[in-house]
Amino acid sequence: MRRHVLTDAAFAALAAGRLSAATVDELRRAQLSKHLLLLRAIVQAAPAQTKLWYAQLEAADRADPPAARAVLADPLFGAWAAACLAALTSGKSPEEAGIAHLARVAAAASHSTGDGTARRLSATCDGITIDVRLDDVDPLRTRLGLAPTGRLTDAEVAHWQRCLADAWRLLVARHRSDAEILAAVLRVVVPVQPDPPAGGISATSAEAFGAVAMSAPQDGTALAVGLLHETQHNLLNATRYLFDLHRDPDAVGYSPWRDDPRPASGILHGAYAYLAMTRFWRTEAGRRAAFEFARWRSAVASAADDLLDGGGLTPAGTRFVSALRDEVRPWLDEPVEADIARLAAGANDDHRLRWRLRNLTVDPAAVQALADAWRRGLRPPQGALASRLIPAPRRALESSERLKLTHRLLRGQPGGAAAAGDVAYLRGDVGTALCAYRNRVVARPRDDAAWAGLALVSGQRALRERPEVVAAVYRALGESDQDPLALARWISAPATP
Amino acid sequence: MHGRPPAEDAQPEWRSTMIDVSGMSLSDLAADDGDSALARSLRRLAEDLAHPEDPIAGFNSAF
Repeated sequence: MRRHVLTDAAFAALAAGRLSAATVDELRRAQLSKHLLLLRAIVQAAPAQTKLWYAQLEAADRADPPAARAVLADPLFGAWAAACLAALTSGKSPEEAGIAHLARVAAAASHSTGDGTARRLSATCDGITIDVRLDDVDPLRTRLGLAPTGRLTDAEVAHWQRCLADAWRLLVARHRSDAEILAAVLRVVVPVQPDPPAGGISATSAEAFGAVAMSAPQDGTALAVGLLHETQHNLLNATRYLFDLHRDPDAVGYSPWRDDPRPASGILHGAYAYLAMTRFWRTEAGRRAAFEFARWRSAVASAADDLLDGGGLTPAGTRFVSALRDEVRPWLDEPVEADIARLAAGANDDHRLRWRLRNLTVDPAAVQALADAWRRGLRPPQGALASRLIPAPRRALESSERLKLTHRLLRGQPGGAAAAGDVAYLRGDVGTALCAYRNRVVARPRDDAAWAGLALVSGQRALRERPEVVAAVYRALGESDQDPLALARWISAPATP
Repeated sequence: MHGRPPAEDAQPEWRSTMIDVSGMSLSDLAADDGDSALARSLRRLAEDLAHPEDPIAGFNSAF
């Protein structure tokens, strides 16, 4: 039996996000294979319940193979089949596992039913067409992990269609290769409820290749960026079906895109998706595009380096991440205006600082020892001070008032409520920012954003490298007349020989 | 290992352990028992299902 194969050149191009049409075809074939294997396993696990429906599918497959295969290749069929087989394997009855859905699949493959309620979005530009189902009815759409909307109004559908037309013009005109990949991969868009703290939100599932869940986009550019981003997740999911990339995909660590700790597999997903984002913004014009390009090129390169240095990749994973890093590396040397470069580097530094403050904790006894030494006027005690991860209770998207203000500034809309320290920091007034952040930390010692701001402008090594340690000791002191900068300077000093 | 590295003496390629049944008829698919490559692919699939990952969610496209 033939195995799925990619040449090394095709594999490296896939990792670089520049895959050929032949590679997309191979990945799509692999996903159809996956769906068929799932179907086979389901039929074997519940032969009595599926016999008639499978026979109907066999007949449909003989009569009109492309039509039957299109039904079996549907992303939501994959989502159903994976969930059904997992339920059967875990001991649930066929009925509990949702086996009855196979009757609807068989009927659809036989053309005996048609989904007259399905809505479609389509756009054509310069000879390239994208045509997808806007699925606001199928109960299986919840499988993509976000809360779906109910049935959309005609006005809401028209908004999606307008955004797609605008997105498609942009993508075909300026990102043609990406548009071709998108048209070949995307089959279903599931509209989901917005996430107010995060703004636009989108998701994919490893079991639903070709489907994207997304809240209503603001405009065509937001839709273009969101679809490119999620298509990368789809491609990586399809790659990971074929090849193990991680020795330990669950080992958690820092991800430049999320406020919570992420498994290695999630960090690679982020790097791969943001590689496409970096390429997109590299081609676009303006300060906003320059900021996004400058920020994400560094974050992608850094995440790839961390994955490679961490030793947790298989040979295939090492090849994949090396090719990804090779793609982004030359972009690091491309010129960006100095003030944009400062803001981008600051946004990445800020994220890492806030991530440490949010997710790392320090041994209370060690913190107390430091606090005692400070009170007694001694030097910091010797010995490594380990920080460890706090298990994250739930998904946390990046959320930062300083970043929101940065975005407003780049859009030329600097108004609105803003903290004095943030305003000063963004205009490069380090002295004013330092004073404002220090006052804020003294007033609110648990304000992680203030600590991160102080670390950004203070230049104190301990604050830059281990903000969670300085913050923990300061809070342990519990006295409002302490100077956090003096404490940071003291912790930064070399230990007593 | 899932995914074989390129051999030095041939056209470099990465071979998955997952087999391609996309061209197989549904009748053949159901009948094909005892094939070790098929069994390996099914085992791998079962392992993946037993170890599900969260949907990759969280891209914020609003600037």
